[in-house]
Amino acid sequence: MERAAQQAVPLGQMEVFQALQRLHMTIFSQSVSPCGKFLAAGNNYGQIAIFSLSAALSSEAKEESKKPMVTFHAHDGPVYSMVSTDRHLLSAGDGEVKAWLWAEILKKGCKELWRRQPPYRTSLEVPEINALLLVPKENLLILAGGDCQLHAMDLETGTFMWALRGHTDYIHCLALRERSPEVLSGGEDGAVRLWDLRTAKEVQTIEVYKHEECSRPHNGRWIGCLATDSDWMVCGGGPALTLWHLRSSTPTTVFPMRAPQKHVTFYQDLILSAGQGRCVNQWQLSGELKAQVPGSSPGLLSLSLNQQPAAPECKVLTAAGNSCRVDVFTNLGYRAFSLSF
Amino acid sequence: MSSESSKKRKPKVIRSDGAPAEGKRTRSDTEQEGKYYSEEAEVDLRDPGRDYELYKYTCQELQRLMAEIQDLKSRGGKDAAVEIEDRRIQSCVHFMTLKKLNRLAHIRLKKGRDQTHEAKQKVDAYHLQLQNLLYEVMHLQKEITKCLEFKSKHEEIDLVSLEEFYKEAPPDISKAEVTMGDPHQQTLARLDWELEQRKRLAEKYRECLSNKEKILKEIEVKKEYLSSLQPRLNSIMQASLPVQEYLFMPFDQAHKQYETARHLPPPLYVLFVQATAYGQACDKMLSVAIEGSVDEAKALFKPPEDSQGKWYSGSSSMSSSKRRRPTLGVQLDDKRKEMLKRHPLSVLLDLKCKDGSALHLTFYYLMNLNIMTVKAKVTTAAELTTPISAGDLLSPDSVLSCLYPGDHGKKTPNPANQYQFDKVGILTLRDYVLDLGHPYLWVQKLGGLHFPKEQPQHTVITDHSLSASHMETTMKLLKTRVQSRLALHKQFASLEHGIVPVTSDCHYLFPAKVVSRLVKWVTIAHEDYTELHFTKDIVEAGLAGDTNLYYMALVERGTAKLQAAVVLNPGYSSIPPIFQLCLNWKGEKTNNNDDNIRAMESEVNVCYKELCGPRPGHQLLTNQLQRLCVLLDVYLETESHDDSVEGPKEFPQEKMCLRLFRGPSRIKPFKYNHPQGFFSHR
Repeated sequence: MERAAQQAVPLGQMEVFQALQRLHMTIFSQSVSPCGKFLAAGNNYGQIAIFSLSAALSSEAKEESKKPMVTFHAHDGPVYSMVSTDRHLLSAGDGEVKAWLWAEILKKGCKELWRRQPPYRTSLEVPEINALLLVPKENLLILAGGDCQLHAMDLETGTFMWALRGHTDYIHCLALRERSPEVLSGGEDGAVRLWDLRTAKEVQTIEVYKHEECSRPHNGRWIGCLATDSDWMVCGGGPALTLWHLRSSTPTTVFPMRAPQKHVTFYQDLILSAGQGRCVNQWQLSGELKAQVPGSSPGLLSLSLNQQPAAPECKVLTAAGNSCRVDVFTNLGYRAFSLSF
Repeated sequence: MSSESSKKRKPKVIRSDGAPAEGKRTRSDTEQEGKYYSEEAEVDLRDPGRDYELYKYTCQELQRLMAEIQDLKSRGGKDAAVEIEDRRIQSCVHFMTLKKLNRLAHIRLKKGRDQTHEAKQKVDAYHLQLQNLLYEVMHLQKEITKCLEFKSKHEEIDLVSLEEFYKEAPPDISKAEVTMGDPHQQTLARLDWELEQRKRLAEKYRECLSNKEKILKEIEVKKEYLSSLQPRLNSIMQASLPVQEYLFMPFDQAHKQYETARHLPPPLYVLFVQATAYGQACDKMLSVAIEGSVDEAKALFKPPEDSQGKWYSGSSSMSSSKRRRPTLGVQLDDKRKEMLKRHPLSVLLDLKCKDGSALHLTFYYLMNLNIMTVKAKVTTAAELTTPISAGDLLSPDSVLSCLYPGDHGKKTPNPANQYQFDKVGILTLRDYVLDLGHPYLWVQKLGGLHFPKEQPQHTVITDHSLSASHMETTMKLLKTRVQSRLALHKQFASLEHGIVPVTSDCHYLFPAKVVSRLVKWVTIAHEDYTELHFTKDIVEAGLAGDTNLYYMALVERGTAKLQAAVVLNPGYSSIPPIFQLCLNWKGEKTNNNDDNIRAMESEVNVCYKELCGPRPGHQLLTNQLQRLCVLLDVYLETESHDDSVEGPKEFPQEKMCLRLFRGPSRIKPFKYNHPQGFFSHR
């Protein structure tokens, strides 16, 4: 019937291009604001979007609340990692780390506060920064990525203090062991290295792929994700997701997950992991799968738990990955809704 | 016995009480001469009260006498008879008295009645008089009011106001001294003046009428003169034809066209005028002509009663005789045909391009629906062999589809048509477009027809300006459309043979050696595209409508087979084709389970602007296909070797890459750098 014809919105060139961009968007990193009410997400086009969690979670949330409050162009390349201090948002992607003031970020035309580039060895290609780690006690920012080194930057002065070498291939992820301040790094070379911050020396190396229980040669040997609980460490990637006892460097539990995991974190008495595949997986420490909650993206790259004390009503788990959407889980059991670029 | 005696004694007249009982007629006769005795007169003299007493006494006496007679009779005896006789005589006397009294009573009664009657008669007479007088009074009153209300005709005339009257009227009419004081005279004077004025005006009117007659006659004369001029001018025109041809100024031809154009319906006329103007001003390659029968067009303007009469008579004849009535289907069919009737004239536009190909557009006007439609045909300088996959590219049905976004031409743009369709059972115009032509929105705009959109619009533009503002854009779009379709046509011919035709000015985008080959290039149907498992995202995003063209390409290298489903938007090449990939090599990899496939799609879909090549960008599709081959090469060669499996890699790495993996997603280096010739990451 003429009247009842379902018409797609007439798409001009602009609309098609924007639709294609959204389809091919990957969100690499997330970070929660210090007040706990906002979530920043960085994507592969170098854009950062700020979502208002409090608006999206409130009872009169409309469709517009699930859209970003602002989106701005932060980097020339993808924004691989972000981290928040109590006043700044630090974002890193193509070789540079930039800082933005959380208080100013919602205003139009926000400019970065400062930008820094660690001293790289090669100049042919600018290496990416895959991981940022804050060491609050020493006011340090540790960057690691494409040039296989860990750089430490003093947040007060902005100078790069030392660089730790040891990895033979680029570094994927960092984790902080607070008790004895040590940094764990996992990389493409399949090794997890522990570094002591005070002496700036490598303390321990765990070559995960060499252990038969967890290695999976057909996936490769790369370590995609790391999390540590001082005595324990969980890592995954090419090899299976495994829980390690650090002092003895032995794998205690192998989690039976076939898909490579890209992000893992400890939460209360559970381990949450996400990677290839739609779901956020919840594991008991014993190795049992407690729950698998599907999200809306075909693959997940980052999980973020909003545990800021200032906003208890925004205590949610957000997951993002191979799509333009950030899934919000108010309760670990199901996906409540999705924010979208 | 006593009754006999009373009868005998009847005529005797008793004078009064105590008077002797005899009374003779003769006496009464003699008394009559002098004064006659009337008992009536006597009644007046006697007192009724005393008469009543007398009556009572007499009755008592009678009763006493009867009782004594009774007594005597019962006692019997000789004396009794005399006593009885005596008493009998006394009672007779009493009887006489009673009779007299009775008579008197009757007379009194009669008298009383007579008097009453008389009085009553008098009263009635007075009453009647009173009534008569009252009626007369009423009648007179009515007459008076009638007279008072009488409006003379003179009050209905609007007289000029008093001041004006005194100003304008000549003094012999106005007679101010007299009229000022006397309103009656004043009114008379004013009426006089009115009459004067009217007489004057009537004179003037007669004069004007005669003037008008004169002028009309003059006009007639001039008209005749002019009409006699026309044939002379025509003969001059004819004589000048050979001169025109000699000088290459075909005014006559243009004139003829304008003549025919006069019979065009308004939208087609607007289109004709604007197109001719545009052709003369901007584009020498545009030619405009009018086709069709002028006589039929003239016939349309016959008086409407005839055609309506035919219709009514037709329908009445249909309803009158059941045997002759056509089936309902045929009736509806006729009505539908009537509704979809085209105007007999159509405008033909020919757009010629530099390479010799041309786009022929025929514009029709549907009279009852008030919309314009267009039929398109593409002709090329040389004969084209159509590759199988290019079937739809230049087909008249779809070559102009979506010239502007969303303008697919399957639905009538006039919202009023829906009601008309309902009456004759037409569901949608889509069924008739092949025959009637497509009612694209830009066609309506070229004809100056502006319909309210389904979504509220803010601007309303009127006829010619609407057409003019669209003409240039539309003509340019039409040209680009034809060019890009022809380019695709040629490219498809090559693609079907497995060769990706990359022009020399696009060679820099790709490395010199590309091993992966395009093996297959076919069209697929829209439904098949939506059924594919790796195209769900595109379908959900609304980018795969039914106005697009769909193709499947197959790229192979060794054991690896890459399927690419392509969505070609009618607005190619300003809107890029969209690729969705599925790689079959060591398992099936799509963008759902392999980040690198996703990255490859992104390279082709999102970064398409670098692949457009030189303007006007017709190389986009072939460049995208070539890039796809390059990406497959990179993917296969940079796949990390699985240590557990024996044997060499299937695809040795020949591409120069700085790094194999980068970023959390471990993406391969898909970006080709020219002129250094190495691959890096974006």
